[in-house]
Amino acid sequence: MHLGMVIDLKRCVGCQACTITCKSENGTPPEVLFTKVLEQVAGEYPIVKKKFIPVLCNHCEDAPCVRVCPTGATTKREDGIVLVDHQKCIGCRACYVACPYKNRIFLKKGSLKNGYFGKQLTPYEQVKYPKWQEGVVLKCTFCVERVDQGLEPACVQTCPADARIFGDLSNPESKVSRLIRQRGGFQPLSEDNTEPSVYYLE
Amino acid sequence: MPKTMPLVGNEFVSGFRLQTEWATLIAAAFFFGKIGSGLFLMSLFTHSGVGALVGLLIVLIGKGGAHLLYLGRPERFWRGLMKPGTSWVARGFWAMMIMMVSGTLFLILPAGSAGSLVFEVIAGLSAFVVAIYDGFLMNSSPSIPLWNTAMMPVLCLFYSLLGGTTLTLFLIEFGFAQVAIQTVFLSNMEIVLLSTNLIVIGLYLLSMTNATAAAKESLRLLVSGTYALPFYALALGFGLVFTLLMSYFVGTAGGAGVVGLITAADLIGHFFLFYLLLRVGVYKPVLGQLTM
Repeated sequence: MHLGMVIDLKRCVGCQACTITCKSENGTPPEVLFTKVLEQVAGEYPIVKKKFIPVLCNHCEDAPCVRVCPTGATTKREDGIVLVDHQKCIGCRACYVACPYKNRIFLKKGSLKNGYFGKQLTPYEQVKYPKWQEGVVLKCTFCVERVDQGLEPACVQTCPADARIFGDLSNPESKVSRLIRQRGGFQPLSEDNTEPSVYYLE
Repeated sequence: MPKTMPLVGNEFVSGFRLQTEWATLIAAAFFFGKIGSGLFLMSLFTHSGVGALVGLLIVLIGKGGAHLLYLGRPERFWRGLMKPGTSWVARGFWAMMIMMVSGTLFLILPAGSAGSLVFEVIAGLSAFVVAIYDGFLMNSSPSIPLWNTAMMPVLCLFYSLLGGTTLTLFLIEFGFAQVAIQTVFLSNMEIVLLSTNLIVIGLYLLSMTNATAAAKESLRLLVSGTYALPFYALALGFGLVFTLLMSYFVGTAGGAGVVGLITAADLIGHFFLFYLLLRVGVYKPVLGQLTM
């Protein structure tokens, strides 16, 4: 099995629902975003075109972050999901710099002292924050806890436009494989030979 | 990729993005690693025990200290030794450890003994790796095209040798070290290395003019953008051109004051060159430019 995601750029409306649900699902501290939607604009008024580009960890097949990690904290599961073991990470940020997509986040010291409403953490933040550590690198996990229970990542389930599709890239009959085949799905920065597991459709 | 993509920060806009994580402390670690290992290598060449000891201390305290200050979890630093098979960070850490142990044993054992010779060779090889590994570390990642070039280790090697030569001359001139070769040879070597570094930097920047759009954006920041002034004034002007002119026209004949000035100028230029190369690292946009 090789889990991956297809993002249909024609469907994305830039609502950032995926950004919000990711934060809600993972309970990440302020300024930590595992996924977000970038905007790109072309042309000049009144002839303007806008595109929304959802970005997240691409869970690359040949992930530079796995290669450069000196501790073995960043590993790749058999199903292709790239994870960071926070207990092993030393915060050298070699992975952060090596990721061509800049989809890793370093949790600075003191980040967990303040929540969204100041020093008094909300009950939700009190429940979620203990799983994070300061001084280590974080990233999207494809919602691995949900995937292990047979569920889709939160961003996929939430997307109101059905722009994100999750599935098994190694199965030629899966929806993701068919979409990539039929609509010419392409990988971001394919010239870097990282073999991302996230494909875009235009 | 067209040049018209914007340079963006953390906002939700697609474009070139600056590398921000590796800055002052990593530049300091690279700097101390290069000058310390360069001095150690030059001390092996000139048979200077004091130079070798100072080189080891620069690497241990300067490089090791900067790395420890930078780490998010410094108490787990030992884990950085776990994956030398794929990681240049781990390889550099191993090289530094081996250099420290074998270098110390080389200095402790009686000069000329078999053990001393063996550890001299091991320490020399590991010092060579410490001198160049940050070039490989920067080169090994495809994310930042400015660094993703085989010129990086070459640049590191020449800067390390230059730093080592300058510090050796400084130690001799200030009476801290005695060497087995003539000072005039070291002075000439310094001039050759300064000229070589100017040529290597020129070639490196020239190669970037034909590289990807992200590399060109980095180059623009360095030679005509935000970082142009420190690049021309400190890295090139003070660090190489002024040092070269002073070394060529005055050199060690000018006495300790001139050698001290040359050393300071060389080290300042060295630090700023690599600091600026780190600061102008630019990531490519995730997808290409949107067209109408």
